[in-house]
Amino acid sequence: MANKPSTNQDAIQGDGDNTKGAADTVAPVLALKGLDKRFGATHALKAVDLIFEAGEIHAIVGENGAGKSTLIKLLTGVYLRSSGEVFWKGQPVALATPHEAIDLGINAVHQEVVLCPHLSVAANLFLGDERVRYGLLQHSTMVREAQKILNDIGFNLPAGALLSSLTIGQQQLVATARASTRGTRFLIFDEPTAYLTRQEAAQLFALIRRLKTKGVTIVYISHRLEEVFQLADRVSILRDGQLVSTQRVSDTNEQALITGMINRAIDQVHYKETVPFGDEILRTENLSGKGFQEISIRVRAGEVIGLYGLIGAGRSEFVQSLFGRFPKTAGQIFWKGKPVDLRKEKDAISRGIALVPESRRDQGLCLNLAVGLNINLPIYKRLTIASVINPFAEAAAADRQIREVQIKTASRDALASSLSGGNQQKIVVGKWLNHGAQLFIFDEPTTGVDVGTKAEIYKLFAKLLKAGAGIILISSYLPEVYDISDTLHVFRRGRLVATHDSAHVSEKALHETILTEAMGV
Amino acid sequence: MSVEATDAARQLAATKHRARLGALLSLTLLVLLALLWVLLAFSTSSFWTYGNITNLLRQGAMTAILAIGETFVIITGGIDLSVGAVVGFTSVIIAWLLTHGYPIWGALIITLAVGLVIGVFHGFGITKLGLPPFIMTLATLTALRGIGLLITNGATISITNTDFTGFSRGDFLGVPNLFWMVVVVAVPGYIFLHHSRFGRYLFSIGSNTEAARLSGVNTVRMIYIAYILSALCAAFVGILLAARIGIGNATQAEGWELQAIASSVIGGTSLFGAIGSVHGPLLGSFILTTINNGANLLNVNSFWQRVITGVLIIVIVYFDGLRRRRR
Repeated sequence: MANKPSTNQDAIQGDGDNTKGAADTVAPVLALKGLDKRFGATHALKAVDLIFEAGEIHAIVGENGAGKSTLIKLLTGVYLRSSGEVFWKGQPVALATPHEAIDLGINAVHQEVVLCPHLSVAANLFLGDERVRYGLLQHSTMVREAQKILNDIGFNLPAGALLSSLTIGQQQLVATARASTRGTRFLIFDEPTAYLTRQEAAQLFALIRRLKTKGVTIVYISHRLEEVFQLADRVSILRDGQLVSTQRVSDTNEQALITGMINRAIDQVHYKETVPFGDEILRTENLSGKGFQEISIRVRAGEVIGLYGLIGAGRSEFVQSLFGRFPKTAGQIFWKGKPVDLRKEKDAISRGIALVPESRRDQGLCLNLAVGLNINLPIYKRLTIASVINPFAEAAAADRQIREVQIKTASRDALASSLSGGNQQKIVVGKWLNHGAQLFIFDEPTTGVDVGTKAEIYKLFAKLLKAGAGIILISSYLPEVYDISDTLHVFRRGRLVATHDSAHVSEKALHETILTEAMGV
Repeated sequence: MSVEATDAARQLAATKHRARLGALLSLTLLVLLALLWVLLAFSTSSFWTYGNITNLLRQGAMTAILAIGETFVIITGGIDLSVGAVVGFTSVIIAWLLTHGYPIWGALIITLAVGLVIGVFHGFGITKLGLPPFIMTLATLTALRGIGLLITNGATISITNTDFTGFSRGDFLGVPNLFWMVVVVAVPGYIFLHHSRFGRYLFSIGSNTEAARLSGVNTVRMIYIAYILSALCAAFVGILLAARIGIGNATQAEGWELQAIASSVIGGTSLFGAIGSVHGPLLGSFILTTINNGANLLNVNSFWQRVITGVLIIVIVYFDGLRRRRR
């Protein structure tokens, strides 16, 4: 099994060398010179120089936030670059709109499926490019042609079925089929195997290899390094928006890639105060549910438990079930030593579990309502006399929490939307403190916040710990979860694969170990 | 391999099942309509008469045309609240044109052009100004009635052109002309929605606008087209209404937008977009019309008719949603 892909790859690399010999005289398919992108104060991509040859499979690896998504969006015309030049077959191009990219032959298969669920597979394949005769749609022709396309590329999917009747993985294959059949010369895959079964992934790889033989350039972005070595000719590493290196995969190995991805000075922002641990707040024993299996963890008062893993590793699903959103299928949850059954969010909230969700905008806050109202939302029962709100108690409760967690706001009447991201986070925390929560679950609390706000969020953690609360911190940013946690659990594909105690010993070797564990190399 | 094959078969079956459900809904509506007709034929002596049936077809024709136009918009996930006001407004326009000596063909073209302009304005407000369709069309609903009243200074314009008004009373092959107008709208409408790429684009916008846009569908233009078609249908109904009652008055057709939306929804259109047809709203509008007609014949208090209509909408849409969820 281990031999087979490598021999296969040798053959492919042979092809690659041939095309490259010819490419000495011909301009590369796509060349980036000093490609740069800023979003306000954030410098997402820093002067990247990259060359993509015709017919190569070029993998790009990097940690979350390294700039991979920004790069894709620049290449597909979703974002406009801040500076730098892009050359398509030697000619400078603007790449200002998605349309321009498609017309050039640049296409992308996104991590999330962007298709129409209400239409059939065939209709999705031909969307925007329908077969028409005398102005009428050729329904049966399109289904027949779509079926032929699918069969030709080895995808066993029914062309006549509604897209929504397919699994997510199959929908992803439809998206791939779509992107590869429209005169595409340059195809970007963003984590294409995240939702695929093993079989589906094999079908996808076969297609990618076939596209390569037809001279299509493939950019392959994945966290799964074994796929990079199975498929790619060359690999580029991005780190903090910069290009670290571009190498032939035969000249490198997995460990070297990981080292390249994380080789950085450890961030000094990660402020951590150690508080003596108190009594156990929550314990799980072999807890299983949708997306995770047999997870056993313990949280004590004053303790930060970090959960690290790649996207889709099952961390969010795990904490959601602690919060009563998805029922467990096996195992037990103990709250302060007693077994509990958390079937609804209400059960969790009434015990004192607070979830600060990843997407504050969607789940955590009523953004177009006042700060004070948001803070008091869970406790209005306590602020009323015969169901009529007591305005004095309401104001006092809001002001107390604004002081307590130091929310920077003009007044309790200001709209939540007018506050910065970090202060919005504080509203969510203040809201649950008000309610008397003892276990705080933070799901990616620092995504999209600047350094100053990050520091404030960590100070808030310290405050919660001193008040006797326990914290579960989910983060995909290794240095953060590593420095802040007292105990660090590593998740991979729904399982807890490793645990590190008192992790906040800044040591690069341990960093590498953890990343290796999470990737399952 | 065989596992996958059965998988594929299952998905195809699920899709066919859904298509069958769609057909079943149309069939249910057809049966419901037939049932209503049979019941009314037995319980009243006047229902099953040539005069009443042709009257019913004339009444239902206008709601049906409005509902077809409305459906194009709803399929994109939008809503057009202005159609009733457009009917009233265009009845004033055509009446004014005819009383000022314009020939019928000229008046027709100008009135339809007015409808077109209204639709373009809706598209502009929604796509360029970024207004929600609900707000944009609510605004034109009230504004158009105002402009219509300003034109006539609140008065009613009587149409003296008997060629024009005679059309609405005439028939062809024993079927009222007004009902033929439904055919004139519904057949191209059906081809447009179900057999042209533009129809498909409307569905794709309602299903996932982003996906449609990334597929190179000109979503802005398609939204323009949807609102233009809705306004054109409404202007056409305005012409038919003016012909039928022989006057132009901006306060006519009050609340018809809700009749149109109700017909569309009873006919299986999803207010969330991406689900709908042309034949569904047709049946829906004639069911609503039959209920009103029957209630009149049975001497049911007209206030009760409104209650019955409301209850019926809840019941039909509830059962439809139930079936969709079960799948």
